Amino acid sequence: MSSSREKILAAARANKPEETLLPTVPDFGGDASAERFTEVLTGIGGQVIWLDGPEQLQPVLAQLFPESRISASTLFSGTLPVDALTTTEVLADVDLAVLAGEIGVAENGAIWLPEANMMHRALPTITQHLVLVLDHRRIVATMHQAYAQLPSTGGYGAFVAGPSKTADIEQSLVIGAHGARSLVVLLY
Amino acid sequence: MKVALFVPCYVDQFYPQVGIASLQLLEKLGVKAEFPAAQTCCGQPLANSGCERDALPIYRHYVDTFAAYDYVVAPSGSCVYHVRKHFDKLEQTPDVQQVRTSAYDLIDFIYNVLGVKEIPGSFPHRVGLHLSCHGQRGLHQANESEMTPVRDGQLRQLLGSLDGIELTHLDRNDECCGFGGTFCVSEAAISARMGQDRVADHLRNGTSVLTGGDMSCLMHLEGIVRRGKLPMRVMHAAEILNGTIS
Amino acid sequence: MNHATRAAKFIGDADRTTWHDETLWFVRTKRDKAVYAVPEFQDLRELASQIKNHTLSKLDFYLEQFEEQAKRNGVHVHWAADADEHNAIILDIIRQHNATRIVKSKSMLTEECHLNPHLIANGIEVVDTDLGERIIQLRDEAPSHLVLPAIHLKKEDVGETFFQHLGTAKGEVDPQVLTEAARQHLRARFLAAEVAISGVNFAVAETGGIVICTNEGNADLGVNLAHVHIGAMGIEKLIPRLSDLSVFTRLLARSATGQPVTTYTSHYTKPADGKEMHIVIVDNGRTKQLGRPDFRASLKCIRCGACMNTCPVYRRSGGHSYDATVPGPIGSILSPNIDMKKHSSLPFASTLCGSCSDVCPVKIDIHTQLYKWRQVLAEANEIPASKKWSMKLMGRFLTSPRALGIGGKLARHGIKFLPYSLTHARHFNVWAVARELPEPPKQSFHEWYQQQEVK
Repeated sequence: MSSSREKILAAARANKPEETLLPTVPDFGGDASAERFTEVLTGIGGQVIWLDGPEQLQPVLAQLFPESRISASTLFSGTLPVDALTTTEVLADVDLAVLAGEIGVAENGAIWLPEANMMHRALPTITQHLVLVLDHRRIVATMHQAYAQLPSTGGYGAFVAGPSKTADIEQSLVIGAHGARSLVVLLY
Repeated sequence: MKVALFVPCYVDQFYPQVGIASLQLLEKLGVKAEFPAAQTCCGQPLANSGCERDALPIYRHYVDTFAAYDYVVAPSGSCVYHVRKHFDKLEQTPDVQQVRTSAYDLIDFIYNVLGVKEIPGSFPHRVGLHLSCHGQRGLHQANESEMTPVRDGQLRQLLGSLDGIELTHLDRNDECCGFGGTFCVSEAAISARMGQDRVADHLRNGTSVLTGGDMSCLMHLEGIVRRGKLPMRVMHAAEILNGTIS
Repeated sequence: MNHATRAAKFIGDADRTTWHDETLWFVRTKRDKAVYAVPEFQDLRELASQIKNHTLSKLDFYLEQFEEQAKRNGVHVHWAADADEHNAIILDIIRQHNATRIVKSKSMLTEECHLNPHLIANGIEVVDTDLGERIIQLRDEAPSHLVLPAIHLKKEDVGETFFQHLGTAKGEVDPQVLTEAARQHLRARFLAAEVAISGVNFAVAETGGIVICTNEGNADLGVNLAHVHIGAMGIEKLIPRLSDLSVFTRLLARSATGQPVTTYTSHYTKPADGKEMHIVIVDNGRTKQLGRPDFRASLKCIRCGACMNTCPVYRRSGGHSYDATVPGPIGSILSPNIDMKKHSSLPFASTLCGSCSDVCPVKIDIHTQLYKWRQVLAEANEIPASKKWSMKLMGRFLTSPRALGIGGKLARHGIKFLPYSLTHARHFNVWAVARELPEPPKQSFHEWYQQQEVK
């Protein structure tokens, strides 16, 4: 037991105010439509494309990323087999990652991507381009509904909303900071 | 209804016409307000400087002066806000509680206590409204841009009811003017720049008469307008409203 | 040097001040738009405030719950009473792994603890990976804003820095090009890093997990490539339940930049197989602040920076004028707790307009706390003596209607009869540097009223 631990806990105990209630967070409802999701995600730099069927996946990708050389995917056999043990050097060359998203959030365009769907934890950010495939019936209105549907957050998981971006130079928006330069969501 | 007029110290000395307009306006609206001669100040300049303890005798003097009135009306929301919010430092005797609830900004009093929502008369000018932070955010006399895009408030409605008036639309509806009491000298550079920016917003959007409900902001803005010799008149809202009713 | 002096220096460059003010005001208007679009936004603020209040009221319980869960998840939990201990713990972890290449995503706590100088003094290279942080690291400057650390710089400044350090073309000022150069430069650092340090936006007691929010993806890239992850968190980062995140993730980015959510909202609960995850829980004055009833609500802060963007003083004085880790209104109520003497002028760097409190997503009564810090500072003799004595004198005057009447008359006549060059001399009268004094009227309201009564 470190003494700092005891010191901090004792000070917190001594200095805390009288206990107040933890509120219940209501479900505020809201628009869970694919249209709303599309509008918001487009507004933050993402792209949404409808797939008519699974057979369309690869043709659409070929059209979107004609120059992609190295791809990794859980949905088809890409050019690179990636798993948790894949080395950084190998990951660094990935152009395109195509992964399955679990939940879409209409109010902010975010998509829940659990570790189980990532192949490697770093893949969604190290890849130059990211494609998430999402069942449109899994779109919810707000973050309240999204968290209510998450069984757990696993070891690691992220809500991803659009491509990596920054505005750190004079507040000018630049897409493609350190993570994926683009995000395409394929809805089916 | 026993009503007292509280004329803040700087208004008393430098803007007596605002006190006069307030008194006359109330009279025209059917309220004969008294002016207790013993009044001095609400103590805010000291308290905002950190010297609340030195302000306590001033608070007590205020309570003694005004406890007997149903309403104490002042042409300065900032002083009213101070009495309501910061007189909590005094022991909460019935007199103290009375003055904390009876303190009213003039416009608030006219709008909410007297229930007057329209003023007959005409004022054919382009008028820019300066919302005082203490009136707006402190006393909720107007909507706040932090909460809603709707620009509404007591003074906007009263002025808007005048014939021929045109209320200008500012780029920043409710940014602080930078007066801030002793801030205006302790942070003189920022204070001046804030005031200049506020006046520039009015100028850019066509204000020819700059008005508001709080004379302290207006004193600061007037100082900037006059220094720049700008084509703008600065008037307290009481002066406009009093002038339009015959 | 106090805030006013530093602010006056910043404001001396009028054009840059205009630019700084307008840029941050633009962020504030983006925030407004995002806020107006959520009908329940004010309810969310209230919920967030209540959740944070509740957490603080059971802070010891939630700290222990968090620790227990995190340990169960295979995370190493460390406790640091102060900045020195925080730095020592992190250095120790790095040394245990013989690591020399460290990347760090944004963490105001590590700024507060001055971690970088400590690591560098011990021969360890640490690279800040947030673009804004990297820019100021190369320039050896402190962040001037919680969310936009390099907002005090223009693209020409960044271009010059990158020309010197990253080899971009002289005179290159295109943000797109400069960002791409930083991407390439930092990618090499990400790939080589052995240890990744991050801050923590939220720590969930019931899961033992931490949540990090970024737009650039730099935290994820760093943490998920390095062998060791060290997350540094203040004790106030806790929230009780996973579902509470729904409230905070709806508020944070909207308040900060007007985005509906940050690009990455990443939940780190367990280390990846074969890797290590450490969490350093830091007090550094926070339990002391918890014990100050008037100021404990400042611990609810989620570091969105909205109070800076809205503050008319901050926008015109720049973040560095506060000379504190956290600048702006929230910094002005946090910093005196850490060093009252050094930061004694900060609570006075405000008009008390209250806009900060109104934008705060967790409803901290910032402007009221500024007012209350002023009282504490005056009682502790941390305000200028001249101010203190003039206020005492004023107190005497303002309880005596007679003295006030005489004094007021003297003042009015003074303005009227003394030469303009004297009444408006900048050395005697700071008011008059930029403003005219009021035109002195013939009589005060008091005098006028008495005349009326005589009539």
